[in-house]
This record gives sequence, C-alpha cells and structure tokens, in this order.
Amino acid sequence: MQRRMTLWAWLGIAVALVWTLLPIYWFLKMSLLTPDEIARFPPPLIPLDPTPAAYFNIFGFDYQVTPELVRRASGQAGQIINGLINSLIVSIVVTAITMLVVVPLSYVFARLDFRFKQALLITILLSVALPPVSTLIPFYALYVQLGLAGTLFGLIIVTLTITIPFVTWMLIGYLRNLPPVERLARVDGYTRFETLVFIVIPLARSGIAVAAVIAFLFAWNEYTYALVLVNGTPANTLATALSGFLFQHPEPSHLAAALVLSILPPVLVAYFLQRHVAEMNLVDPIR
Amino acid sequence: MAGQVTGAGRTSELSNLQFALLMALPVLLFLVLVVAYPLGYALWMSFQQIVFFGGYRTNFVGLANYATMLGDDKFWWSIWVTIRFTVESVVLAMAIGLALALLLNRPMRWPGLVRTIVMLPWCVSLYGTGIMFSYLATGQTGFATAIAFFFGADRPVSFVNRQWVIEVLAIGNAWNMAPLVAFFLLANLKTIPTRLYDLAAIDRMSPLETFWNVTLPPLRFTLFVFTCITTVLSMKLFDFIFVLSGGGPGTASAVMTYQIYKISFRDLNLGYGAAQSFVLLFLIVGSTMTLYALWGRREAER
Repeated sequence: MQRRMTLWAWLGIAVALVWTLLPIYWFLKMSLLTPDEIARFPPPLIPLDPTPAAYFNIFGFDYQVTPELVRRASGQAGQIINGLINSLIVSIVVTAITMLVVVPLSYVFARLDFRFKQALLITILLSVALPPVSTLIPFYALYVQLGLAGTLFGLIIVTLTITIPFVTWMLIGYLRNLPPVERLARVDGYTRFETLVFIVIPLARSGIAVAAVIAFLFAWNEYTYALVLVNGTPANTLATALSGFLFQHPEPSHLAAALVLSILPPVLVAYFLQRHVAEMNLVDPIR
Repeated sequence: MAGQVTGAGRTSELSNLQFALLMALPVLLFLVLVVAYPLGYALWMSFQQIVFFGGYRTNFVGLANYATMLGDDKFWWSIWVTIRFTVESVVLAMAIGLALALLLNRPMRWPGLVRTIVMLPWCVSLYGTGIMFSYLATGQTGFATAIAFFFGADRPVSFVNRQWVIEVLAIGNAWNMAPLVAFFLLANLKTIPTRLYDLAAIDRMSPLETFWNVTLPPLRFTLFVFTCITTVLSMKLFDFIFVLSGGGPGTASAVMTYQIYKISFRDLNLGYGAAQSFVLLFLIVGSTMTLYALWGRREAER
C-alpha cells in the first residue's frame, strides 16, 4: 500500500469534508444571520455580520444587538428547555436499560449453543424490520387506554422497542470476535454468570461503549413516535420542540440554532466513539 | 483438563439452554408484548372499517381494505416512489460509505479529527437532516441559488420539484447513513494484513486488481449486511421525508410511509392505513429475504 499522501488522497479528503460539512455549514450560517439577511434574496454565501443572538433567544433571553435593536427571546424557549431536559432523561434511561438487557442477551446468542437459538434470534432480528408507522396507531390506542400517552414513561417503553433489537444485533457480531475465554474462566471456578460479569464485560468494554452510544443516538433522535405520543404535552422531546419551530411560526435562525443545539450532545459522544468504532468487526449474527 | 474440572462437582451449574433462557426470556417476553401486540392490533384493524363520525364504531369488512388497494392509483404510485427512493438511497449510501472507508483507511494527518468530522452526519437526526436539506435544496434559501447568483445568474435554482425531489431525499438519506456504513467497513479493512498488499505488489497487480482481489473479499459480508440494513431503514423512513418534502410537491415524494400516515392520521381511515402498512411490512421483509437468497447465502457460505 502506498504510504505517501498523493494528490488524489488530498483531493479525496477534501471532497469528503465538503460533502460532510456543506449541509452543516449552511445551517450553522443560518443560525448566525439576522432576520433581514435570511429574508434577503439571493441567500448570502457567508454571514456578513454574524451574531449569536439566536442562541440566546432560544433559551429565553433577549439579545442586545445595538442600543436601539433588541432581538427578542423566542416564545418557544420553554418548549426547547423542557424538550432538552426530557430528551436527556429519555436518552439516558433508554441507553441504561438497553445496555442492561442487551449485553447478556447478545452474549448468550454470540457465545453459547442451545436449542431454539435460530428461532429466538430471528424473532429479534425481524423486529428490526417493523416500520414505526405500522405500530403507531396500536401504540396510541393502547397508550390512551393505559393513560401512558403524553408521558415520558410511555415514550421510553416505545423507544426501547427500537434500540433493543438493533443494538443486540450489532453486539452479537462484536462478541463473537472475542477470544475464547469461557473455558479458562471455568477452570478458575467462575460460574457462567460470573464469567459474563467479571471476564466478558471488561474484555468487551469498547464494543459495549460503542453500542451504548448507538443506543443513545437512536433514543436522542427518535421523532416519529414522539410526534404522535408526546407532542404538545409536557413530555415533549427536543425533536418535537424543534418541529414546532418548523410548523408554527417561521423564525429560521431560531430553528437553525435549536438544531445546532440538538446536534451538540451526539457530537460529544461521537468524538468519544470514533476511537472505538474502528475496533468493531461485524460477523454474521445468524450462523 | 478443562473438561475434567467442568465435570467435577458443579452440579448446580445451569445448562446452556437454561442460562440462555434466564438471560433472554424477560427481553423476549417484552419484545413479544410490545411488538406482537401492535402487530396483531394492526392486523385486526386492517379487516375493519373504523368510523369516527356519528359515534365510534367498527364494522368487519373482511378483505375489503385490501381489495380497495388494488384499484387505488395513489397506492401503486407510493410503492413505485418507495422503491425508487430506496434503491437510490441504498446505492448512494453504500458507494459513499465504501469510498469514505477506503479514504479513512489511508494514513493521514490528524486521523482522529477527520474521523470525527466524517462521522458528524450520523449524529444529526433524520428530522434534522430533513430540515437541513430542505433549506439547502429549495430555491429561496438554497446553496445552488447562492452559487448561481455568485456566477451571475438571476433566477433561483431549486431541486425540490417534481423532477428531482426523490434524488434530494435519497442524497440526504445517504448523507445521514453513509458514516455508519463507512465505520463498519473501516473496521473490516483494518483486519487485512499489510503483507497481502506487498504480495499484490510483487504480483504486479494493478490498483483495480488489488482492490478486487485483496481489499474487497473481507468486506463482502459487511457490504451485504449493510445493504440489508440501509434497505430496511430507507423503506421504513418517515420523519425525514415528512420534514423535508411532506410527500410533495403534489404526490411526487409520497412514499408508502407518508401515504400510510396521511390515510391514518389526516383522513382517519385507520383500517385502510393498517392494511397498507402490512403491504409495506411485506415489502420490507420480502426485499430482505430476496437479498439474502440472491446474495447473502453465498457470502455466508464463504
């Protein structure tokens, strides 16, 4: 393999960065524009007079641009702050429960042979294929009857149905690649459960960390169920608060700033993730 | 030796099946409850006509909802739009994901920074991607318009129109999914011993031959798995399309998920919506099975 950076490699990286960053840049730019500049046509390529006003506005603060000009706090600020807190609660709880459940589950599927394994595994994998639009109405009907519509608890349950099958499937592939430690652990007198807790989990911690981040991203970014189940209630998430900006009254810089805000927590975890993710290797889960 | 120790004493040790059930049963019960229940409910709805006006009531109508579909032009159109969107999304996401993985596998300066940046789109939610791309691609606020005016044009350039909206959706979807594909392919690329590339150089293979004979084989199974994943994710995608184009202009981007949403939540025709959602489920499972039969089985046997 060639070790030097050729012109083509530089070009490739440049194209990859433009491809990745252009949509993000376009939005970041919009969050820094004044309402006049956003209304201007044609749209400016760079913000001529960038102000961070929108970032203050969405948290409910006025922003003094000049002594005469104040950009008023957004009426959606309460929704945004509430949504941010709810999203954090839902994502963290979902991630915790998912990992608690999924690690032993994927462990037994990855490392042990037993009857009914194929059938049980296919059940889990098939539930990955379920489209949310098919289950929305039944969930809604059930939730209205149980009084769970518009509650964080209800949203957490639904989100778990997305994260558990998907993360199980990813972890199975990872755990299969671990060295065969079980036999040695049994020589040392560990029971199966102790083997899992004291040997396998520490050994697989980077894969488990990546899986946790993936669960967090799924929970953080879930929108379809939230739109139907909690939108317009005190349990609204950041996702639904954001869509309020889109549909209720157009203040594009506020929308853009809120969207940038919504990306920040995942970006923090992504920075952590990128060191681990290259260690993961995928193996056929059904074999 | 190990066998002897295992056999000695530990009569209280669980069998594999017992241990597996102990670990898996609570989750499986949960999954069955929260997945099978809505599915069964939806199946029941698909055989009913559900009326809201003049008092809620349901009438059993048998297969009438399914029969209505056959003569519904919008239904057939939504299947076509879904297939077109899915094929374009999957091809783009896989191609871009592979390209990004090959790029990231090269030695470079600041690899951590480049990896973090390349992964960014994956952190953006699909509704966020939808908002971004709608601003990026429409004429009033779009990037193409800004560039065109920069070079002296005097008319906005919009891609959210009948002709191109599906492509805008597919590109946005691929933008979001490609990093996930890229990072798993990268994990596989890391397992290829450098020696193989030295041997390929000794054999005087061209870059294309090296790619085909050395780089590609360990990637093939992952490529298959992620083709399946991106297919499933694209077919059941709703929020992104809802935010970006709302099924429009007209019905130009009315995929099945959007159509089901509209029938169920706008027209409140729940029975008909449920029936269509089973067609969608059938399409998703069917296309995954087809992929497995045509491609995956061969890869798994390798």
